[in-house]
Amino acid sequence: MPKSSIAMELTKTPNKTAARVGIGGPVGSGKTALIEQLIPALAERGIEVAVVTNDLVTKEDALRLQRSGLISPERVLAVEAGACPHTIIREDPSLNIAAADTLAQNFPQADVILIESGGDNLASTFSLDLVDYWIFVIDTGGGDDIPRKRGPGIIRSDLLVINKIDIGPYVGADVDSMQKEASEIREGRPVILTDCKKQTGIKELIDCLVHNVLFLDA
Amino acid sequence: MTDRYLSDLAMLQHGDSAFPSGAVSFSWGLEALVNRNSVNDARGVEDFLRAQLEGRWASIDRSILVHAHAAWDNLNRLVTLDGLMDSQSLATELRMGSRRIGRAFLSVHIRLGTLGAAALNENVANGMLYGHAPVVQGAIWREMGFTAEQAQLMAAHGLCSSLLGAAVRLSVIGHFDAQVIRTEITSCIAEIITTPPCKPEEAHGFTPQIEIASMLHETDQSRLFVN
Ligand SMILES: Nc1nc2c(ncn2[C@@H]2O[C@H](COP(=O)(O)OP(=O)(O)O)[C@@H](O)[C@H]2O)c(=O)[nH]1
Ligand SMILES: [Mg+2]
Repeated sequence: MPKSSIAMELTKTPNKTAARVGIGGPVGSGKTALIEQLIPALAERGIEVAVVTNDLVTKEDALRLQRSGLISPERVLAVEAGACPHTIIREDPSLNIAAADTLAQNFPQADVILIESGGDNLASTFSLDLVDYWIFVIDTGGGDDIPRKRGPGIIRSDLLVINKIDIGPYVGADVDSMQKEASEIREGRPVILTDCKKQTGIKELIDCLVHNVLFLDA
Repeated sequence: MTDRYLSDLAMLQHGDSAFPSGAVSFSWGLEALVNRNSVNDARGVEDFLRAQLEGRWASIDRSILVHAHAAWDNLNRLVTLDGLMDSQSLATELRMGSRRIGRAFLSVHIRLGTLGAAALNENVANGMLYGHAPVVQGAIWREMGFTAEQAQLMAAHGLCSSLLGAAVRLSVIGHFDAQVIRTEITSCIAEIITTPPCKPEEAHGFTPQIEIASMLHETDQSRLFVN
């Protein structure tokens, strides 16, 4: 098939307007906490959100968001991972794509669809066909050697978030060196430090999304 | 000969588990049976697979698939087949599972630029179709030039691969057991496809233990799979 005809079909696929942003990273690094911060902060700037969660064993994250009062429950869809959190964002993202399509269809006014991965190891990545932009979340509790351990999430993600900077001192993690090492490895791609308990870094994160994904400040 | 190779290669591509189908997230009742210890070894997995193939797939999914393949360009007929598929799926998770697989299938084919996929998807979006897997697979595979036999082979093989994959991930069998079972089951698939399919209006299935397990799965605390 000639390339041009594929391109033509692509422009017809539902929701090429709402940006799809993947949020990956190890279990417990704060992906859902970050989404809980992002939703109201995006809403404050008039940016409408829908969410796909990839809970591993339960529907815990989807229910947590649906009950949070931050977002109307029907804007949150859960996709089951069949014991393979990385498979459904990387090798076979079709259920996630279908879920995002459904949200785009039901909420055509949505500006951004956040897709939270079920939580995985440092080697997990998002399929380029699933997301337009990819955030990888690690936290100081995982150890300050995590950036040094590299892995595609740390090196290649569009944005690296180092979360839980508040607990750094209690777990012996040197936050500054984490940031420095991560920035060196990432060759200029952004690194943002956050504390979801005190909303530190959230504004910076939104600025980054607005500038790099939503192009609203152009 | 080249045509034959092209056709075989296309079938390998579209029937391969590397083709994004969403199947990895579905166990079609197996997770619930494993959680209840009703299936806990290779023998149990083989029995489960045979029950799925002979008790359900052969007499429901396959019939709908073959008739959708024949009626690929007849929306009214596809709507009827889609409705029959829906009414033959008592357990909610099995019914919704087939719809979800069908919709994911369309989402992927829209992006691949497959003719007919966008139009079918519109009919799902506007509520004309539920978009059950055998209906959209039959129609789209026909549109792509696959024969009815090829469509059945791909669907049966896909079902076996995904069920055996689920069994491996649920840690009931190992990879070698999976291949042994797959080999054992091959003649069963061939036999099913050799017999003419029943009329869709006469589609029927009898897998009560699987359906009950699937209903219990709806409220299970621990759920790795869609169904
Ligand atoms: N102290 C602190 N705790 C956090 C922060 N972000 C998340 N947590 C906590 O870390 C735990 C895991 O967070 P969660 O968002 O569920 O992680 P996920 O598995 O990546 O989605 C929860 O108990 C959160 O309250 C943070 O910035 N600081
Ligand atoms: Mg989470």
